[in-house]
Amino acid sequence: MTDVGNSPVFKPGPDAKLGEIVRHAMPWSSRLKLPGASPFEMLAAIFLVLLVLIALFVDFIPGLVSPKLPYGDFSALPEWSLNGLLGTDDIGRSIFSRVLYGARTSMMIVAISTTIALVAGLLLGMLAGYYRGIFERAIDLFANALAAMPSTLVVLAFVAVTGPSVVTIIVVLGIFDIGTYARVAKAGVISQSNRDYVLAARAMGATDGRILLKEILPNLIPALTAVMPTLMAGLIITEGSLSFLGYGIPAPAPSWGGMIASSTDLLSRFPILIVGPVLAIVLTVYAFNTIGDYLAQRLNNRERES
Amino acid sequence: MSSDAILEVQNLSVSFTRAGKEMKAVDDVSFTVGAGETLGLVGESGSGKTTIGRALLRLLPSANTTAKGSVRYKGQDLITLPSEDMRRMRDRLQMIFQDPLSSFNPRRNVEDIVAEGLVIQGKPASERKTRVQSALADVGFDIDLVAGRKPHQFSGGQCQRIAIARSLAVEPELIVCDEPVASLDVSVQAQVINLLQDIRENRNLALIFISHDLAVVKNVSDRVAVLYMGRIVEIGTGPQIYTRPAHPYTRTLLEAVPVVDATRKIEPDGKRTVMPSRNRPQGGCAFRSRCPRATDICAQVVPTLQPAPGGQMVACHHPHDEPAPGMAA
Amino acid sequence: MYSEATRPILSCAAMTCEMDSVSGPLQILQDINFTLAPRRALGIVGESGAGKSMLVKAIMGIAPKGLKTMGRIELEGQDLLALKPRDRARLIGRKVGIVFQNPMTSLNPFVQIGRQIEEAGCIHMGLSKAEARSRAIELLSFVGLPDPEDCYDYYPHQFSGGMKQRIMIAAALICQPDLLIADEATTALDVTVQKEVLDLLQTIQAERQMSMILVSHNLGVVAGRTDEILVLYGGNVVEYGPTAEVFRNPRHRYTEALLSAMPAMDQPAHTRLRTIPGQPPNLANRPAGCPFAPRCPSAQAICHEVMPPMSAGIHPDHRFACHFPLAELPRPAQQEVAHVQ
Repeated sequence: MTDVGNSPVFKPGPDAKLGEIVRHAMPWSSRLKLPGASPFEMLAAIFLVLLVLIALFVDFIPGLVSPKLPYGDFSALPEWSLNGLLGTDDIGRSIFSRVLYGARTSMMIVAISTTIALVAGLLLGMLAGYYRGIFERAIDLFANALAAMPSTLVVLAFVAVTGPSVVTIIVVLGIFDIGTYARVAKAGVISQSNRDYVLAARAMGATDGRILLKEILPNLIPALTAVMPTLMAGLIITEGSLSFLGYGIPAPAPSWGGMIASSTDLLSRFPILIVGPVLAIVLTVYAFNTIGDYLAQRLNNRERES
Repeated sequence: MSSDAILEVQNLSVSFTRAGKEMKAVDDVSFTVGAGETLGLVGESGSGKTTIGRALLRLLPSANTTAKGSVRYKGQDLITLPSEDMRRMRDRLQMIFQDPLSSFNPRRNVEDIVAEGLVIQGKPASERKTRVQSALADVGFDIDLVAGRKPHQFSGGQCQRIAIARSLAVEPELIVCDEPVASLDVSVQAQVINLLQDIRENRNLALIFISHDLAVVKNVSDRVAVLYMGRIVEIGTGPQIYTRPAHPYTRTLLEAVPVVDATRKIEPDGKRTVMPSRNRPQGGCAFRSRCPRATDICAQVVPTLQPAPGGQMVACHHPHDEPAPGMAA
Repeated sequence: MYSEATRPILSCAAMTCEMDSVSGPLQILQDINFTLAPRRALGIVGESGAGKSMLVKAIMGIAPKGLKTMGRIELEGQDLLALKPRDRARLIGRKVGIVFQNPMTSLNPFVQIGRQIEEAGCIHMGLSKAEARSRAIELLSFVGLPDPEDCYDYYPHQFSGGMKQRIMIAAALICQPDLLIADEATTALDVTVQKEVLDLLQTIQAERQMSMILVSHNLGVVAGRTDEILVLYGGNVVEYGPTAEVFRNPRHRYTEALLSAMPAMDQPAHTRLRTIPGQPPNLANRPAGCPFAPRCPSAQAICHEVMPPMSAGIHPDHRFACHFPLAELPRPAQQEVAHVQ
């Protein structure tokens, strides 16, 4: 019952509803609150939850060796053991361990960059949407300028000057997403501001701050959560590309992009060794995008209803 | 009806600027509302009735909008009041909207919605609770049954009652009702109309009742102002306007009201070609392009409100002075 | 069964509509019966959720997917439900013209209105381009648009709401239908424009000798402009009869309550309106008996259990579905007034 991947519960039966089966088989899945999700979307959500759990608790996985220290032969092929599951890399470190720790790196970058982008974007977008005028023009200019830049190249140039560090990567990636969040927030504020409930709040004597924070902000969350996964997928790819090029997370810290880079030499002889990190990136990006589509769809449905 | 006015509107004009063009939505409108009195504002789309309602409470968007004239509430001009003072004034001036559901924040429950004004005023939680309870009781709800529910769980009529409770909770003296029953089914609209009437009586509330429905306006109003393209064309007591309408537009409106009359077989007006545009003609009386009585002077001079034979005020160069056919008092 | 002259244009017999939903099939319309004779006008009134627009859609065959229509709908003697969807659409396209509530969404904003009027004519009547154009221009002038030849080339945004509705009427007339359906066609319009459009519909109906169905939530719109009226409530016909008779002497308690809940133009200010307690029924949990029973002050036990059958009073055409109908009023002396054509 707990074997998520192979469990047949994701095939909707003829007379039982999928949601009920999932709720029955995995009581905790109802906490995901994904009404009407398809099996793929459900799997994507579960994968992401798993990823976050790994990122948080990878230190406590019993028997898992350090990702930074050699553990066996160089470039050993996969074998049936926890640490050898995906083989070892060119200096004998456990690829499986590095993939799991790489999840922590990726998740941390995604979480912090997104927080930076979200907070700044919301602030700017709300000001632009509520007060319009000069605010709007200035923030549009900023967002358009960001969107016009090829982000990977700019980050590359930036890191080349400052030298690679986790903090630089996080901050620069975060800045690039501000524009998108600001634009979504601005559009949301403009459409919400015309609703009667905002007028009603003003008629009650609510201050601008109260209207923005208590009335409008909660109603922006659906639109923001719908774009968030797609932008997160973008962060994973950009971070992976940077690490692959050697301008990302500095060695020996484990990162998926860096792992692919370091195994390119072995690619012709042991292509199997690259499977772990590649699969990690592909699945994560796919999961984020799937959830993004699902949330956007649900948002559309809700807007059509209201 | 009370003679001492709590709201005095003088020469109110509102214009919007869109793409560099100025559009006058409200043009030189003056009226008063007494304590406990209901003034009906009636007009078709584009008459400026909603804009007037919002301008009174300073709820128009600040960008691209200019409001001129004065709106005196108990002597204080709301148009020029500093915004912080205006904000503190808002518990006395309330508003009810056409679509109650959209006037609620979809994420709030009923208790939070009704309590909102009290939270903004900084009332302590215990007082909020009792006032929310009594406001909900006034509109026929038991707080224990509805407090935690979300607005979309209620029907249109119930939502409008919740909206009324929200306005009442801050104990206002005047409520602007903007088409409060237009979105409701007939079988439900009577509940809301009666409720508004009861509340007005019990609390000596002044109401400004904005509607396109002449029958509803007749029922609720002490006095009625008829609007056409941003101007008041006729204003007077209900009986004056309905039994002896002086303005040709008022008559057109009254004749157009679809009434249920078992004995009447409507003979359609065979005159079929209509004016290609209802845009305001340049200069003179705005109604003249549709007016059967229009003459040269109507194209040249904008008529101002003058006393009519029935006692009301009318803005027309050629007002009617005979009672309307088929209109009983 | 009927001679050519008296054969009904449209008749519905035991028509029932069901829609699938998560909580089982929903009965949207139940056992609808009516006939519409040539050159007559029928008013269909009801509040939101009464099923009036679904009734129109079911007749037109444009109901949403998942709606099952049972019973018989006959258009000039042809059973529509027995026809193949394609034949049915062709027949309806030829014989029935329809005007919807919202002209803004019924007209394509990027196509000249003349072409939109012609469209159905070209499809169903096989008109040539020149014929279609001249007929469209003729119709534009017929519905009262000034300078119809110029109007032909205009786009929808160049017209006001009332004008757009006139254009929709012109489009509905292109195939010279025998039946014109106006589904809340004047609801979105201002009162003065509403009157003009209703007058136009009525004049056209008389001139073209068509039948007409006026669907509205507003009793005042159908009063005086229709010959018969069908009152829907919760998906059931609760009262059906000559319009003047139903308004003079409503027998169903819902009709009567609805009439007295409307503020009247001849009442003084602050007249207390009679209210109908409760809310219109929810299709998902419709009562077993009379749909109005939960709100009816005169309801007895039987009303909650048994759906009342349609019965007739002294006036044989005036029928109503009520276990405890209101008393029959004596005919006023000048009763002919109500029946003068």
